[in-house]
Amino acid sequence: MEFTVSKADLVRELGLSQGVVEKKSTIPILSNVLLEADGDRLSLTATDLELGIRCGCAAKVKKAGSGTIPAKKLLDYVRLLPDGEISIKFADNQWASITAGRSKTRIAGMSRESYPELPEMPQVLAELPVKRLAAMITRTIFAISAEESRFTLNGALLLVKAHGLTMVSTDSHRLAMVECPMEIEGFAPDQSYRALLPRKAMSELARLAAEASDDAKLLFAGDENHLFFQIGDRLLLSRKLTGNFPDFERVLPKEHPHNVTLSRDDLKGSLERVMQFADERSRAIKVGAFPGELKLHSSLSDTGESEETLGAFYDGPSVEIGFNAAYMLDFLRASNEDNVQFLFKDSASAGELRPVSDGTLNYRYIVMPMRI
Amino acid sequence: MRSIFHVDMDAFFVSVEELYDPSLIGKPVVVGGASDQRGVVSAASYAARKFGVHSAMPLRTAYQLCPQAIFVEGHPERYRKYSNLVKEVLQQFTPLVEMASIDEAYLDMTGTERLHGPPLLAAHKLHNAIKAATALNNSIGAGTSRLLAKVCSDQAKPHGIVWIPPGAEAAFLAPLDVRKIPGVGKVTEQKLHRLGIRQVGDMAALEPKFLAEHFGQWGLALGGKSKGLDSGGWFQGEIGEEQDPKSISHEHTFSVDTADADALEAALAHLSEKVGRRLREHGLWARTIQLKLRYTDFSTFTRALTLGHATQIDTEIFQTARDLLRKNRRAGSPIRLLGVQTSGFSHEAGQLDLLDGAQHERMGKALNAMDKLRDKYGEMSVSLALGMKGRFKERTHDALPNDGKPKK
Repeated sequence: MEFTVSKADLVRELGLSQGVVEKKSTIPILSNVLLEADGDRLSLTATDLELGIRCGCAAKVKKAGSGTIPAKKLLDYVRLLPDGEISIKFADNQWASITAGRSKTRIAGMSRESYPELPEMPQVLAELPVKRLAAMITRTIFAISAEESRFTLNGALLLVKAHGLTMVSTDSHRLAMVECPMEIEGFAPDQSYRALLPRKAMSELARLAAEASDDAKLLFAGDENHLFFQIGDRLLLSRKLTGNFPDFERVLPKEHPHNVTLSRDDLKGSLERVMQFADERSRAIKVGAFPGELKLHSSLSDTGESEETLGAFYDGPSVEIGFNAAYMLDFLRASNEDNVQFLFKDSASAGELRPVSDGTLNYRYIVMPMRI
Repeated sequence: MRSIFHVDMDAFFVSVEELYDPSLIGKPVVVGGASDQRGVVSAASYAARKFGVHSAMPLRTAYQLCPQAIFVEGHPERYRKYSNLVKEVLQQFTPLVEMASIDEAYLDMTGTERLHGPPLLAAHKLHNAIKAATALNNSIGAGTSRLLAKVCSDQAKPHGIVWIPPGAEAAFLAPLDVRKIPGVGKVTEQKLHRLGIRQVGDMAALEPKFLAEHFGQWGLALGGKSKGLDSGGWFQGEIGEEQDPKSISHEHTFSVDTADADALEAALAHLSEKVGRRLREHGLWARTIQLKLRYTDFSTFTRALTLGHATQIDTEIFQTARDLLRKNRRAGSPIRLLGVQTSGFSHEAGQLDLLDGAQHERMGKALNAMDKLRDKYGEMSVSLALGMKGRFKERTHDALPNDGKPKK
């Protein structure tokens, strides 16, 4: 195989592979990127067997073929080259020669024979707006459980129905749910598709989406074990998480007797300050609703205490509820509306945060209180 | 000037057994299990001690030293019952009571002269009150520090009282063997002997600098101790001041090593229940669950997992420990010992659970009800179904605080 590409193209496409290639190198070839040159194109493939990405760019192909090179080493090196053309040539012994201007380098590659075959994209299920999906990811990804033993919570539930998309994540302390009403073409009214999307796939998808245009669409498909997202020439595929996502509808509060509306920035600022005096591990603070105001309070016996008062239209009974301040901040950082609603019942029941908006997304964030 | 009492029950486990079976009185008795069992001596009667039998010694060794001894199983519930009776008496004398273990306690009697009289008189009253309430012999040491009180009670044994008036501390301690100082074990003793220091008085006469050179920080503490002061870690903290344990654990050594998954998991369930019960007794919630494994060749492994929330629920402790066991066990290798340890404590439940919260709450209520049943009818009265299969006879030292370590 022998080809020439522009440095800018190669750096950009290699960059996409970095989040995917295996870092632990338990299987050495998974640290490599698969390069395939054919016609006037170079294709790049990276996978850690859970997640895979296939992308590419224009290339002058002198001799078609394929080979694999350590992805990180290649990118780190190519980045340092001056802008311009880069020629790569694979020898029969799997060493690759890289030539750019007066620079010459050889990198030890590995035969593509031992590189895993990625599954082919099956029939497309739906066409989804990329930015919309990315917005749903931002609003749910932080509530995914970090506890590896709870593997069904290590991703978000993606629900595709004829009238919209739903994404739900939970770590069993809080739950983020976002619905995006839209007509999905080709879906019968009672048809639905359900899959568990791993966290890593979500963050890579968000990364790809960041580069897409505002009205870009992606093609979504799924087979028995994998999910496929194609944006233009780029394909992201991910193994589905197996297992049953908890019955989240059961834990969604039907109604809250009390609520207050607050400025998101004010609440965010107050929480950030009060949290300085909360226990570093539990981040426990007290949220108190009193006639006409909401109070945030934290105290650490050896360090100090802090209180913030926010004016609020509230005439219900006085209630004090313990919360993990970091959980509340996660929502406020993910939401971008000016105002938020805080809905609650008592110190033992789930509270809820919602943006106040007429936006295209219906966003709910349920947080369980703390006993403090 | 402080007035501290140290109350130590005489051969506590043996004495309690004698109450239930008077035929044991005066005979060499070893509490802990049958003479051919695995396990250690929990307590020995004075008659058995003459043969060199002491607590924490393997039962089989005790048998070799004193084959004529009567070996009896321990009854932790009996000891807890009598320990509580003793505690009730102590609390009538001062609110500042610290049970150092199941059979000894420190009392801060400072400022009680008008109520109970001078220290020696108060000690007599206490001594008689304990005997009257429990029929058990006890020894009391009284002095100006915890260390002194502890050394005095040792000198007072059996069934006596020793009080050292303020000012007489050094004179009292001077002729004693250095080993009598709490905290001085075999290693320190040998080192001191090599330096020519045999009696506490020798040590008290030394420059602190000399001790610090040979023992570092510990040397400075030794210097203080030799003068009767509560120095250096051993006796820090005020009496009556609640100190939370750093960890709570239970272990079990199988009578026959086993690789049977069902048997191991059943034992693990039982251990988890016991740990859960102790957590609830202390009002603590734990975040970290640790599994301990010891194979036949004595190679020992621990594996821990920290949960996202704190728990005191038996089933949750068990499931975590079981996952650790399944993940880390060498299949087919017989296991000698299993242990479950919890740590990372908080005093509140902390974060409530959205998905399993209702279930946790129901389970918590059920466990509280089980605890009440156990308080009334004994530890074996109720248990998880899986834990029942894994039940083993409670070893006597499980009844002790400090994570079931045998008494020093």
